[in-house]
Amino acid sequence: MTSERAAATAHTGSIKNRFARRFLRSLLKIKRSDRLGAGTSTGFQSNEEVTKRNAQRIKTAAYRSMARVVGPRKIWSRALLFKLRYRARIQGAGLRKRRLVSKKKRVLRKENKVQVISREPSRADDLRKLVPGGDSMHICSLLDETAHYIKCLATQVKVMQSIADRFIL
Amino acid sequence: MDMSDKDKFELEKSNDNPTNYHSSGGLSSDWRFNSTSIPNSSLGLVPIDNQMSVCRGDLVGAASCSSASVIDSFGPAMWEHPTNSQNLVFCDINVQNIASSSNTAGIGKGVPASLRNGIDRTLEMGWNPPNSMLKGGIFLPNAPGVLPQSLSQFPADSAFIERAARFSCFNGGDFGDMVNPFGVPESMGLFSRGGGMMQGPGEVFVGSGMKSVSGGQSQKNVMNAGEASKDISMSVDHMATEGSPLKNETKRESLARSRDEAKKGLGGSSNDSDEAEFSGGSGQDEPSMLEGNCGELSAKSLGSKKRKRSGEDAELDQAKGTPQSAKGSPETQQKGDQKPTSTTSKAGGKQGKQGSQGSDQPKEEYIHVRARRGQATNSHSLAERVRREKISERMKFLQDLVPGCSKVTGKAVMLDEIINYVQSLQRQVEFLSMKLATVNPRLDFNIEGLLAKDILQSRALPPSSLAFSSEMPMAYPALHQSQPGLIPTAFPGMESHSDIIRRTINSQLTTMTAGFKEPAQLPNVWDDELHNVVQMTYGTSAPQDSQDVNEPLPPAHLKVEL
Repeated sequence: MTSERAAATAHTGSIKNRFARRFLRSLLKIKRSDRLGAGTSTGFQSNEEVTKRNAQRIKTAAYRSMARVVGPRKIWSRALLFKLRYRARIQGAGLRKRRLVSKKKRVLRKENKVQVISREPSRADDLRKLVPGGDSMHICSLLDETAHYIKCLATQVKVMQSIADRFIL
Repeated sequence: MDMSDKDKFELEKSNDNPTNYHSSGGLSSDWRFNSTSIPNSSLGLVPIDNQMSVCRGDLVGAASCSSASVIDSFGPAMWEHPTNSQNLVFCDINVQNIASSSNTAGIGKGVPASLRNGIDRTLEMGWNPPNSMLKGGIFLPNAPGVLPQSLSQFPADSAFIERAARFSCFNGGDFGDMVNPFGVPESMGLFSRGGGMMQGPGEVFVGSGMKSVSGGQSQKNVMNAGEASKDISMSVDHMATEGSPLKNETKRESLARSRDEAKKGLGGSSNDSDEAEFSGGSGQDEPSMLEGNCGELSAKSLGSKKRKRSGEDAELDQAKGTPQSAKGSPETQQKGDQKPTSTTSKAGGKQGKQGSQGSDQPKEEYIHVRARRGQATNSHSLAERVRREKISERMKFLQDLVPGCSKVTGKAVMLDEIINYVQSLQRQVEFLSMKLATVNPRLDFNIEGLLAKDILQSRALPPSSLAFSSEMPMAYPALHQSQPGLIPTAFPGMESHSDIIRRTINSQLTTMTAGFKEPAQLPNVWDDELHNVVQMTYGTSAPQDSQDVNEPLPPAHLKVEL
């Protein structure tokens, strides 16, 4: 009985723990790169900028670790990973702005078309915008993905909260 | 008794019928009787009924041979081969009977009666599905247009049964009402028997088809049911289209089909049955009486009377009159019971009672189900319903996930709540990442310790609720002592113990750090910040480590306690 329960609890806690581990590792990585870059570039950057950039990176790291933990079995995690990877590639290539602009245009065009074709945006469409990869989902699968996404987001928030609390202490 | 019945049968056959009858019918009758006597006590009823019908047929005279032959043909079809071929024949005969029964209701009724009696519950399952299959195969070419498209698409659940029943009722009368609610195959069988008797030959046939539907679904597969329903429609069609005047040709056609699909002997028997039907036009009254005697619902007799009145248009009357007869079934049944006293067996009365009970019960249930289900039965509305159910199910799930959403009713509001919650979570993530970014510089040398601790905790403390509690104590002994108390069952003492040992070893032996906790997962971290790690672990929990190392007993103690 004890073993069963331990297994069950480990299973429920596994995502959380794995996410925490991943997130901490990525945090470490960020910090390391920060320290590496501190000698070169931080000197003529304002503190706010650095913080902002770090916040962005941390956020990205959090999302990525969450998606990685969930793995490819959920649509939202796949879409999220793809998006992050795409963004990272753009960043690495240094083509971020141009491509982003073009992508935006494309998206806009697409949205316009969609709107022309279909009815006015409903609440489900709002939800689609929030859940990664939700644009092309049925309402049923969208709700499924939303449920999972909410669960993972809540876990993420909890973990980040605890880490932040620890740090602030 | 069985033997005597058989003998009588054969005698009658020999007297009344030509040579084919002997060749095939005699054997078949033997078969049937033997088999019937073996499987069930109720089977004993079969011969009795047959005998009765035969006697009546004798009384009638010309009609007698018809009834007897009908029964005979029916008998072989049912019992001769346990396999499909007889079923085929049987179905064909039934269909023919129905086709003819619009005029000669008595014969048709006689056949169903024997059918009813002779069929076992166990056997019903066996022969019904193939029966339906055959019917479908035979009658599809005749009236394909009648087939409802939605029927074939229905899944094999109770809903399908309902629909099939409805369809049948749509076609043949209100029979579906009673049939629907029957979940139990046995009761179905009884009921269908009763119901079939109530509605007359055509409806009897429908009833048998329904039986097969329900039974097949409850026990076997969808295909049978679907085809059975098709068959029902087909048979009804037959009745409607091939009224009385064209009986002969239609019978011939169906006969030919049956022959093709069935064996020769069976074909011969079917021939006999056809002849019997032809001649049996005059014997309407007697068969109906017979059925009443048999204890089946005498609604048939009502139907037959109506038929007498209306003549060839009797089908419509039946369809309309079936509800009435169904309602008036108790009274009619009483009549039937009174009649049987003269010649019938108790078993027949029993059966009739059972049938009536079955019909009464299912009616109510059916109404209930119908009220719940609504009228939309086409595939589109069905799919829509399924989709809506799915969505509401997910909504319920989400309701549990999203706080403050439990009291909200209405999908739009709930969606709003969900959207708000997701947005708030995302904002929280953003905010926390900001916080972490601002705090980041300070934490340089804290993270590794935290990571190590996280790993440790994730191992030593499976329940994650404690893993990140804000007041997580740095003192490991305290943790270890408090954790088991909190989660006595889930605490693996050995694991924590080994973890502690490992950790201490790691902290003491810097060479081991490469393979610290997760060598595969944490190589980068430890590569670069080896010293940091060691320092951190020492700084955060060195004293406790030493304590742990010095006294590794607490876990063991706890383990013992556990």
